[in-house]
Amino acid sequence: MSAAKRVQQWATFARSWHIFDCKWQDPYESANIIKKYLMGLHKPIYHPMNDCGDVVVCINSRDIALRGDEWRKRAYFHHTGYPGGASWTLAWELHNKDPTMIIKKAVYRAMKGNLQRRHTMQRLFIYPGENVPEDVLQNVTNQIRQIRLVPTRLDQIPEEVTKTYPKVMDYPEDYVLK
Amino acid sequence: MVFLTVANWVRSRGPDEFWRKRRIFRLAAHYIGRRRNCYSVAVRNVHRALVYATKARKLKKQDMIDLWSTRITAACEQHNITAYTLKEGLDRANILLDRKSLSDLACWEPRTFECLAAVAKEKMNLDGATDYADKQHPTGVNLKFKDVMLEAWLKEKKQ
Repeated sequence: MSAAKRVQQWATFARSWHIFDCKWQDPYESANIIKKYLMGLHKPIYHPMNDCGDVVVCINSRDIALRGDEWRKRAYFHHTGYPGGASWTLAWELHNKDPTMIIKKAVYRAMKGNLQRRHTMQRLFIYPGENVPEDVLQNVTNQIRQIRLVPTRLDQIPEEVTKTYPKVMDYPEDYVLK
Repeated sequence: MVFLTVANWVRSRGPDEFWRKRRIFRLAAHYIGRRRNCYSVAVRNVHRALVYATKARKLKKQDMIDLWSTRITAACEQHNITAYTLKEGLDRANILLDRKSLSDLACWEPRTFECLAAVAKEKMNLDGATDYADKQHPTGVNLKFKDVMLEAWLKEKKQ
């Protein structure tokens, strides 16, 4: 091996594809994580002027979770440009219209406003459910860790497991279960 | 550092108007429109540009520091260690590398950086100062510290 090729690293600038499951995740917190992968901030070769960002595929964007009563309180502003053209859409209304829009706007806002931002956004794919086109899914090589653990609901656990699970207490004899 | 020459040169009032203006027009040569052709507009813009240039000498250094920090944070994430633990661990192990050298190593010699991260973590573990954010997956588990005689050196107390 020649001295010049001793430290050669193949595919350093290759674009890799990541998948992120938005289920029960806060879109504004996950936007910071997604942004990191889109811009290439997770690579030690990062430079604002080298094109080292990756592609991120977001699935289950319909199942995102907003904090508190943000579904009712958060408003998205739009102005058509004409007089009286301002409109405020509540988060739940926007989510009903397009389940991908909230996560898209969250990622867009997490990034600094410059000429590169719109091109970086092109590398973000968002799907409302789990149905991802085959040609997108076959490129994916990495899964981004979710911020919050998605807990298993009681009705999703099989009955044999819940029956055999050790009890903390028994209900009193005269206790009426609803 | 104060560059008195430039300031004097800009503000100097020569005896000949042509040459005085010519100095300004030379600095405005790459501007567009009236900014390069009319003296009264050009001189304002040249002065402003020189102020920007003065400020930018500091900003450029700060930009480089930010870039190095970003790169080090990215490299640390790959080894499941926080940038703070890396810095603190290396300091305690008496490896005094600055951010520039660390980011160069992270970029060009990832294996060297991996070892540095492992050393930093090992030192922090020996000192009993474990950062709970790093606990998930230890880095450099297949590195044999005993083979390279690091142990005595690692166990040195910080000066």
